[in-house]
Amino acid sequence: MSDNNNDNKTKLHLEEGEDKILLDHSYDGIQELDNPLPSWWKFTFYGGFAFAFFYFILFQIMGAPTLREEFKKEYAVIEELQEKFNKANGVFDEVKYLAILKDDGVKKGQVVFETNCIPCHKEKGIGDIGPNLTDEYWINSKGTPATNFPVVFNGVPEKGMPTWSASLSNEEIYQVVSYVQTLHNTHQPGGKAPQGNKVE
Amino acid sequence: MSSSSNVNRTGLLETYSYDDQIVRMFVFATIIWGAVAMLLGITIAFQLATWKMNFGLQWMTFGRLRPLHTNAAIFAFCGNAMFAGIYYSHQRLLKARLFNDALSRIHFWGWQAIIVAAAITLPLGLTRGKEYAELEWPITIAIAVVWVVFAVNFFGTLVRRRERHIYVAIWFYIATIVTVAVLHIVNGLSLPVTWTKSYSVYSGVQDALVQWWYGHNAVAFFLTTPFLGLMYYFVPKAANRPVYSYRLSIIHFWSLVFIYIWAGPHHLLYTTLPEWAQTLGMVFSIALWAPSWGGMINGLMTLRGVWDKVRTDIILKFMALSLTFYGMSTFEGPLLSIKSVNAIGHFTDWIPGHVHAGTIGWNYLLIAGILYFLVTKLWKTEIYSKTIANIQFWMATIGLSLYYVSMVVAGITQSLMWRAIDANGKLVYPNFIETVVKIVPMYWVRAFGGTFVFVSFLLMGYNLYKTMQQGSVGIEEVYEAYALDDSSVEKNATQHRKLEGLPLVFGVLSLIAILVGSAIEIVPTMLSNHYISKIDAVKPYSPLELIGRDIYIREGCYLCHSQQVRPMVHEVLRYGKQSEAGEFIYDHPFQWGSKRTGPDLARVGGKYPNMWHYRHMLNPRDVTPQSIMPIYKWLVEQKIDYATLTRKLQVMKQLGVPYSDAQINNGVMSAQTQARTITEDLMKSGVPAEVEDKELVALISYLQRIGVDYGSLPKSN
Repeated sequence: MSDNNNDNKTKLHLEEGEDKILLDHSYDGIQELDNPLPSWWKFTFYGGFAFAFFYFILFQIMGAPTLREEFKKEYAVIEELQEKFNKANGVFDEVKYLAILKDDGVKKGQVVFETNCIPCHKEKGIGDIGPNLTDEYWINSKGTPATNFPVVFNGVPEKGMPTWSASLSNEEIYQVVSYVQTLHNTHQPGGKAPQGNKVE
Repeated sequence: MSSSSNVNRTGLLETYSYDDQIVRMFVFATIIWGAVAMLLGITIAFQLATWKMNFGLQWMTFGRLRPLHTNAAIFAFCGNAMFAGIYYSHQRLLKARLFNDALSRIHFWGWQAIIVAAAITLPLGLTRGKEYAELEWPITIAIAVVWVVFAVNFFGTLVRRRERHIYVAIWFYIATIVTVAVLHIVNGLSLPVTWTKSYSVYSGVQDALVQWWYGHNAVAFFLTTPFLGLMYYFVPKAANRPVYSYRLSIIHFWSLVFIYIWAGPHHLLYTTLPEWAQTLGMVFSIALWAPSWGGMINGLMTLRGVWDKVRTDIILKFMALSLTFYGMSTFEGPLLSIKSVNAIGHFTDWIPGHVHAGTIGWNYLLIAGILYFLVTKLWKTEIYSKTIANIQFWMATIGLSLYYVSMVVAGITQSLMWRAIDANGKLVYPNFIETVVKIVPMYWVRAFGGTFVFVSFLLMGYNLYKTMQQGSVGIEEVYEAYALDDSSVEKNATQHRKLEGLPLVFGVLSLIAILVGSAIEIVPTMLSNHYISKIDAVKPYSPLELIGRDIYIREGCYLCHSQQVRPMVHEVLRYGKQSEAGEFIYDHPFQWGSKRTGPDLARVGGKYPNMWHYRHMLNPRDVTPQSIMPIYKWLVEQKIDYATLTRKLQVMKQLGVPYSDAQINNGVMSAQTQARTITEDLMKSGVPAEVEDKELVALISYLQRIGVDYGSLPKSN
């Protein structure tokens, strides 16, 4: 039989002066010093509470702007920018289209098509998730560059066609429209059944 | 100082021994489950680096293994380590054998059975869909029962103690036992549908608040307070040093316990949780910084004067680094709780980085120190190989550093890409996938860092095994001590010192301390009709959508996709109208998620054609090249479970979802009609008619409904 505390007591390492602040507590040989709270810690401790108190008062009682109010303000600025952009770029410009067409538009448009449109319209535009672009049926346009442009630029969100002006540059949109024009009426094999209205 | 406390004692001199066998059992379980938890961790880490690691097996996908990893790490690894350390120290600090050997064994085997049940049910997709509280209701009840067994055993030992006052370690144990019970029960409340399926009694905002009150405090009271208690026992023991400051112990214990419980809403900043609750969550997190650091100071300052030993003693080395990581994490926590910092960090990999600095840096390293201490004591020998232990130490440190740094870099990089807006008011990176591809290299670094940590753990397992082999258990030693009587009462004791002699009162006061914050934050959500403004357009899910939602939950979609558009410009540009509280009132459980490995889905309804979803679930890369999402091909093989549908609708009605009796009775027919409509649409693109009764159709119906009721309303502002 032995007192299980004895072996630790002899080995307890004390620094100079610590014997004066060593408390009488002992638990399985563990003792405690009565050091005061570090002053920087006390500062952080009370500082945390003070911050909490004043921040809460300021934002929840004195009516500093809420997260939603701040958002509304920021969003209004962005909406204005977008409106300006859409006004300047969202309308089909025949002159610009012809210039882009001259500058290898179809070839460049094919690259844009293959990176962005294939997941839904498949290679050569035969259609899968989205409609077949190689027949003479059109859902949202008349199959002309001028009527295809807004479908790409604005998208048709309710049908799943994204707003491509959000992710493509204006040049790229003109390019891809010019490429799609070359698919028109090519009746690629394996194409999806026609959808929309026949355009003669 | 047993001599001084034994002076003039008149009580009966009693003999007693310790039940160390139960500690050995928990030590074994800690080593085994720790290895399992980390193996799961690196598995899912590699799954994020390359989707092929999902192997096309449904029970191996990220969405099912991730909950198993978190549950294994928290409850199996840290849980068993906690029980080993508590049972070892509790007996010695009280000079008493554990209350009941049989209860100890029920506790042990019950807990292991729960872990096995988790390891079986979670890969099968049986889940409640709430993070760290995924286990279905029978297992959730079993956890509560085993926890009560633990509590009885623990408090029973206190009743039979031969030490008048309880040491600070035991204060932390008490707070742990009381609080975990409250958290687990309140967050676990659900109504069963079948033996393997239940719905949370809370919905939407309310469910989110209760969940993150629980989730945050699982970190607080399962990974922090018990381990602070263990630190207070094992660090002074291993260092042979007195604890730095008793006064600091008192003030940091009570402030920590009181404040921690309030901090949960910092997981819900910028969401549709009322802003006053968000602000409370933030400011209490800031106030938590100093109380958390109190524990670090008391630990590190206890090592004062023995720093030379920290260089050579492997046990102290682990403990010192663990305390350093604790200090770092508890500084980073308040930082991430500041609204504007949270706006950057939330939903990104910074958060898993932060969490792992805590669980690996603080918990694993401390556990390593404790295990080396316990095994050498309980097998009466020295560590088998200090060299292996040193290699383990450095591998763990390097692995964790790779993990942490890669995740912070990935998180901040991705967040900045999400937020970038150009001069025309457009997103610079409108395709979410661009922001994913950018950070995939960081996922590789993380996975290799995790592998380092896993290997370090295996080295420890081997080292501990060899240590056990060279040592011997021996027979139980018998000790003697005086029974408590009036002679053990201290004269002129301070108020707190008196309280330390009254463990049950101490327990009640801890309970009150944690109930204050809980009540102030949660009760208003239960009572007030003004808490969430109702939106008339928001209607309950159709029967098929409800089935689809359960598939969404089963596959763990919420672990990578959020459903919450925060009021931020870039989010509204990317996803659509910001979310409103009234949209989620029928969501039992809520599915806001906490991480965006993939894009937010709060407005995904109607965004893509049905066919897009069909292609996407069968092979995400068909529609999103370079996507890292797993394939879900079993969804076109498994049939929709219509058998439980009526019961599901009935349970939802009991929970307050306004389904009429006719809707419930015609549920199956209505679901089949909707499935046919979707199938007919898919067939236009050449999908075979057989998909009509397959799960994918139900899932599509749900995806197409998310966020539509409110999202399609004309803009009002």
